[in-house]
Amino acid sequence: MSETIEVRVPDIGDFRDVPVIDVMVRAGDAVKAEDPLVTLESDKATLDVPSPAEGTVREVRLKAGDKVSEGSLILLLETRAVPPGPAPQPVVVVAPEPPPAAGGPIEVRVPDIGDFKDVPVIEVAVAPGARVRAEDALITLESEKATMDVPAPVSGVVQALSVKAGDRVSEGSLILTLLPEAGSPAVQTAAAAPPAAASAPAPQPVPAAAAEASDIPAASAGDMVLQPSLARLPSPAERAAEVAGGRASHASPSVRAFARELGVEVALVTATGPKGRILREDVQNYVKQRLAAPAAAAPRDGGLDLLPWPKVDFGKFGPVETKPLARIQRISGANLARNWVMIPHVTQFDEADVTELEAFRVQVNKEQEKSGVKLTMLAFLIRACVAALKQFPNFNASLDGENLVLKRYFHIGFAADTPNGLVVPVVRDADRKGVIELARETAALAAKAREGRLAPGEMQGGCFSISSLGGIGGTAFTPIINAPELAILGVSKTGLKPFWDGTQFVPRLMLPLSLSYDHRVIDGAAAARFTAFVSRALADLRRVLL
Amino acid sequence: MSAAERMVECEMLVLGAGPGGYSAAFRAADLGMKTVLVERYPTLGGVCLNVGCIPSKALLHVAAVMDEAAALAAHGVSFGAPRVDLEALRGWKTKVVARLTGGLAGMAKARKVTVIQGVGRFIDPNRLAVETAGAGRKVVRFGEAIIAAGSQAMKLPFLPEDSRIVDSTGALDLPFVPKRMLVIGGGIIGLEMATVYSALGARIEVVEMTAGLMPGTDRDLVQVWQKANARRFDAVMTETRALRVEPDAEGVRVWFEGKAAPAEPRTYDLVLVSAGRVPNGRAIGAEAAGVRVDDRGFIPVDGQMRTNVAHIFAIGDIAGQPMLAHKAVHEAHVAAEAAAGRKSFFDGRVIPAVAYTDPEIAWVGPTEAQCREQGVAYGKGQFPWAASGRAIANGRDEGFTRLLFEEKSGRLIGAGIVGTHAGDLIGELALAIEMGCDATDIGRTIHPHPTLCESVGLAAELFEGVCTDLPPARRR
Repeated sequence: MSETIEVRVPDIGDFRDVPVIDVMVRAGDAVKAEDPLVTLESDKATLDVPSPAEGTVREVRLKAGDKVSEGSLILLLETRAVPPGPAPQPVVVVAPEPPPAAGGPIEVRVPDIGDFKDVPVIEVAVAPGARVRAEDALITLESEKATMDVPAPVSGVVQALSVKAGDRVSEGSLILTLLPEAGSPAVQTAAAAPPAAASAPAPQPVPAAAAEASDIPAASAGDMVLQPSLARLPSPAERAAEVAGGRASHASPSVRAFARELGVEVALVTATGPKGRILREDVQNYVKQRLAAPAAAAPRDGGLDLLPWPKVDFGKFGPVETKPLARIQRISGANLARNWVMIPHVTQFDEADVTELEAFRVQVNKEQEKSGVKLTMLAFLIRACVAALKQFPNFNASLDGENLVLKRYFHIGFAADTPNGLVVPVVRDADRKGVIELARETAALAAKAREGRLAPGEMQGGCFSISSLGGIGGTAFTPIINAPELAILGVSKTGLKPFWDGTQFVPRLMLPLSLSYDHRVIDGAAAARFTAFVSRALADLRRVLL
Repeated sequence: MSAAERMVECEMLVLGAGPGGYSAAFRAADLGMKTVLVERYPTLGGVCLNVGCIPSKALLHVAAVMDEAAALAAHGVSFGAPRVDLEALRGWKTKVVARLTGGLAGMAKARKVTVIQGVGRFIDPNRLAVETAGAGRKVVRFGEAIIAAGSQAMKLPFLPEDSRIVDSTGALDLPFVPKRMLVIGGGIIGLEMATVYSALGARIEVVEMTAGLMPGTDRDLVQVWQKANARRFDAVMTETRALRVEPDAEGVRVWFEGKAAPAEPRTYDLVLVSAGRVPNGRAIGAEAAGVRVDDRGFIPVDGQMRTNVAHIFAIGDIAGQPMLAHKAVHEAHVAAEAAAGRKSFFDGRVIPAVAYTDPEIAWVGPTEAQCREQGVAYGKGQFPWAASGRAIANGRDEGFTRLLFEEKSGRLIGAGIVGTHAGDLIGELALAIEMGCDATDIGRTIHPHPTLCESVGLAAELFEGVCTDLPPARRR
């Protein structure tokens, strides 16, 4: 049952006339499925064209240097298996190959099923290795009008199945190969027809149910079963091709005309009608909202005319896995995006000399070893920031429309990394707490955050936030303000740096500071002063007492 | 005749008085514009009313009744062989056309639309010259214009002039009933005429260049028609073309080439050429007005049917596919309203199409094949007329009604019907698509019983799995 197939250049994207840079096979070579046959070189990449099947190369139809496009003939391949049904793909994928045993397995093909083409296989009743008797049902097909079983033509053992449930077949499509039992009348198949001409009469009797279905009177249509819904899933490729941004809502012609009259793009109107229909009232409400919008402070429809998010089928480029975002990520992501878009951020960079402070911290920790509480740089940072907020009250505030709400309390948030995402627990009344107490409290809050046990109240009410990446590395970064706060201090990794003391370079331990602030409220000079204040406070914490 | 008499001033000029043209002129007049309608033929209505849709339907009606009368023999009622008086039949057709075109003339008068008969060509962006039949040359100066100059049957260059070689217009004249007739081009128009001539007694052969008859139509629908009509045809030669045509005393000899080509030429009494229609974009002096015409003869327009010249619009066949009268009429209203300063747009979601063959084929929206090509996830409800009481009672149960629903929204996106009166059933589905109906909306709309339109509701119920007029769905 050998057959010669034409191997053609498969879909290679949008490229045409790409040069062949290597031909790996010659006439007479034996190849296995997936063996590379030729190498092509497009503007962007080189790619191998694999063999669609196992077989022997009969004739190579191109040479290195030729230019080819999708569909160009590469070579003729003599295979021992027969490709399945009408194959639209240029490269034919061949079904598992039955051993060419003497006495020969026979091919069972879809018999005459009336005028139908591309009917779905809804059930496969046998598996490879199964023993069937003549007239046993092999598969069930469902045409527009009837379901019908295709019976085994002879008794035997199923060898290779060429169809699965959901496949579409037509008269002549290969269903499976069957090794007839001794004693069965050996039914030889006609010479395998090329897949396109699948009109060769099938060797098996026409099943009764497959008689011209339209001639069955309705009253006696016992076999006739209609599909309630095709709802057939498209192939992944078809799914990928699905047009993005399909219309989620719908407006009837009269509403469309009304929207045109008012110059409203219906795609922007929120639908409130049943089943997502846009009503006349929805268009009116949209217009009212738009007219009211400039007066409101909320620039929700402020005209960020963004391109749609790029939709890419990453699976085309390599294996991928889709994993939903954690709940915290989804919530914080939306907040971060809003803050990033709505707040004009500026980031001020500075350094603090923490040589003395670090020495002090290490010493105290040594002294306090037994108490179990460890002083952290974060605790000192909170203390320094509170002092700065007292000095610069405009930083301890929030915007409310055209008012600035100044706060008389000092609750400091700190960003805590957790397995589920970023959270910002808040230390209340940090101005009334000592460094040791702050260290103890931040450690406890961070532990709770990691365990996911923070109460909502423990993440609310912050005036100012600190985000420390010092434990990891980096020299500076631009943190996003945690609205409705006005500023956030980013802290990077401390490092020894040479410092000119007037006569010589001395090593000093420097802590990089990055202060992002809301430029609508805070101007650059104020931010520079604030950061410098924090820096001096850390250099000599006695200033905090002033 | 003074210069002033020959110059006509108007706010709106409409060139062409087919369904698009007269609709545009009448709508413009209704909106208060002083309107001139230029038409080269003496009657209004264009191809559609004079030599297209309407006369062909008059003849198809006769053909259908003849076929049906003959079919009654199987149900116990026999008539004698029909005697056809061709002249009387032509008279019936002419009467139908005259009644409609006469009605149009009356309506034009009632609206004070000035009709000028003659061939119009643009002179510049605001003037059109009309070569009238008897009154010499007239010039129309216009404020706005709508081009509705339509299309004409495609001529095949290798065909000689002969009274036995006709296009659809010539075929509608019913010169005689041929014994053997060849239809070149297996599209809808050719097959409608083939149906008429077949009913009158002609044996038909069809030659079509593409792989199937009615190219562009859902294969499943065509298949049902083809099976029911196999008896009419001695040969259906697809992927084949007529190569050479030579009339002689015996008939018209035709040589073929292609997949189904017979080795020897064949002789026919009548050859109908229906190889498609080409737009008349090149015949109206568009360049003088600065109106862009593409290389196929179409005039590109925007969503308000406006050409590249802001005060000149184009509608109907000349503005692009599909070449259908009902599309032209809607475009006409949009153009007239836009010209009058209204915010009208052509934003219909779907344009239904009908082949008035027997059985009829009608569809709206994408076919299954198109859904698959475009990667639209859809579900299907298909009701076979073999389970419709009315279709069985009519003795015509070969059809089916198929509805396609978009998976994501559940809304109807397309429908295809094959069966008698399919064209009368498709309007409901066009409405359902425009209104955004889903299967529940259609299935729970109470359809009258027993009717063919019931099949629409039942197909929707099938999609939902709540139909009780068929055996239960097989589980999978």
